[in-house]
Amino acid sequence: MIEARGLTKVYGDKTAVAGVNFTVEAGRVTGFLGPNGAGKSTTMRMIMGLDRPTSGTVTVNGTPFARHAAPLRDVGALLDAKAVHTSRSAYNHLLAMAATHSIPKKRVHDVIEMTGLADVAKKKVGGFSLGMGQRLGIAAALLGDPQTVILDEPVNGLDPEGVVWVRNLVKYLASEGRTVFLSSHLMSEMAVTADHLIVIGRGRIIADAPIQEIITGKGQIRTRVRTDQPDQLMHLLAGNGVSVELQENELLEVTGLDPRQIARAALDSRVMVYELTPLQASLEEAYMELTKDDVEYHSLITPGAAAPVQSGGN
Amino acid sequence: MSSTTLDPSRRGAHAGTGEVAPGGMSGTSTGPGPSFLRVLNSEFIKFRTLLSTLILLGCTVLVVVGFGALSAWGTGQFAEAAATDPQAAAAFAAQGGDLTVGVPTSGIAFAQLILGSLGVLLMSSEFTTGMARSTFAAVPKRIPAYAAKLLVVMVTAFVLTAASVYLAGLVSLPILDNYNLNLDLASPQSVKMLLVNSLYVAAVAAIGMALGSLIRNSAGGIMSLVGLFFVAPIAFQLIPGDFFVEARKYLPGNTVEPMTAVQHVPDTLEAWQAAMVLGAWVVVPMVLAAVLLKKRDV
Repeated sequence: MIEARGLTKVYGDKTAVAGVNFTVEAGRVTGFLGPNGAGKSTTMRMIMGLDRPTSGTVTVNGTPFARHAAPLRDVGALLDAKAVHTSRSAYNHLLAMAATHSIPKKRVHDVIEMTGLADVAKKKVGGFSLGMGQRLGIAAALLGDPQTVILDEPVNGLDPEGVVWVRNLVKYLASEGRTVFLSSHLMSEMAVTADHLIVIGRGRIIADAPIQEIITGKGQIRTRVRTDQPDQLMHLLAGNGVSVELQENELLEVTGLDPRQIARAALDSRVMVYELTPLQASLEEAYMELTKDDVEYHSLITPGAAAPVQSGGN
Repeated sequence: MSSTTLDPSRRGAHAGTGEVAPGGMSGTSTGPGPSFLRVLNSEFIKFRTLLSTLILLGCTVLVVVGFGALSAWGTGQFAEAAATDPQAAAAFAAQGGDLTVGVPTSGIAFAQLILGSLGVLLMSSEFTTGMARSTFAAVPKRIPAYAAKLLVVMVTAFVLTAASVYLAGLVSLPILDNYNLNLDLASPQSVKMLLVNSLYVAAVAAIGMALGSLIRNSAGGIMSLVGLFFVAPIAFQLIPGDFFVEARKYLPGNTVEPMTAVQHVPDTLEAWQAAMVLGAWVVVPMVLAAVLLKKRDV
């Protein structure tokens, strides 16, 4: 279990993390979602005792990380795929890490095998692709067989097979009762991986809830309806907090009624309906809605919008 | 540790067994933690698994032995000239009889530069490569990792310098013999030269490590080291004024001669004073580096 209380980090005049409180429970995958520069990595470095909080505390299983008797056996972290000397081989890197806790060589071989690094383990890390670096970082995180696993952007640079592997791995770790804390700016990945979501923006916690709640919590139920009598159905359903929008010929989007109510109304009036699809807000929509005021770096040019300044040459 | 494999593909085999990392839920782990000896072992593994480190160590041996041989040859030529040229003979006599005793340590100036830079690099590369995040996540108290690295660097620098100087002595023996010059590697003065110079190089490596830790940048650290050992002595000599003449004695690079002198040379530090000065040059930056390492973010 990871507990942050009033955790704050200020760099100069910039507040990276502004007094956040959250608890990451054991036995489930907790996603840490936020735009770039929101304070995810800073928070994770503070958990690992690498950055000193300006104020507040963060503990792992009740104790600050630096005071654990055998830190690598309690907490494993992938904070940065490049937290490795580039001229050392992956095997020697893991061997040196393992030596600090008398972790046997067999375990080093096991994590190399597990992360699919066997073919490149004796090669210099400097030549690794981003995905290989991620795998090495995950291998290092798992080295001490820790109860708490912290992974900062683990799927960055991984191939699709690797992404699925990480997804299964973190779910499996959580199923074993471990605490799994996973950061990402990829909402789609979170939607399929995490059980619980902590959303951060500009150093503040915007949401802390089960992922289903975040997806459905915002906005009303929407249903896509296809019928060959759209005008009649619109007339039947509209009004009293219900809005119906004709999207194209024979296609309606109904907000404020659930599919059962729509079907009942249609049946009563003998209007034939040939599609009833509940529309769920995607995590992406929920996230955009949550973070729209808290994005650190807005893109100057958004898709579909014209470039504000037309400079010559392109 | 347990037999927990963390392998998702074996999930079925584990299902329902409730296999959880040992001691995990209580927050107290069962296995051993980072004791100093373990951290020392880890730092030694890190030290010997970098090719660049091994190359620098090899270069040190080559340079010390090479300069020893060159110096033996030069000394022989000088002695030969003294036999025919009265002017050279006078200069030779002024040097005293123990001209050959300094031959094995004639490459020390370069050994200190190489091993001092190695000290800088071993620490600065932790920060430039990001390795420090792994190191200090495994040893969050930080100071044990720093102390272990320091020990590895200093012991290596001492042993390697001592071995190289002895080897340089062995190589120069037949060359000196060719010019009918004697060198007794077991004489008290030879042993003293070997030990003091080896300790001195170990001290320079420690200063380098402290600089690497304080500056966290390879180029900046090495430049500072070169500034302290090569630029400052020359600059202090060029700047007029008694202050710089006096201050020059206290530069770390000028502490070796007083410590190895057969007898005290007027207007220089006593041997024990020189040792204290060199000690201060090691301890002060080292302590400062350790305090800041503990305080700063990684």
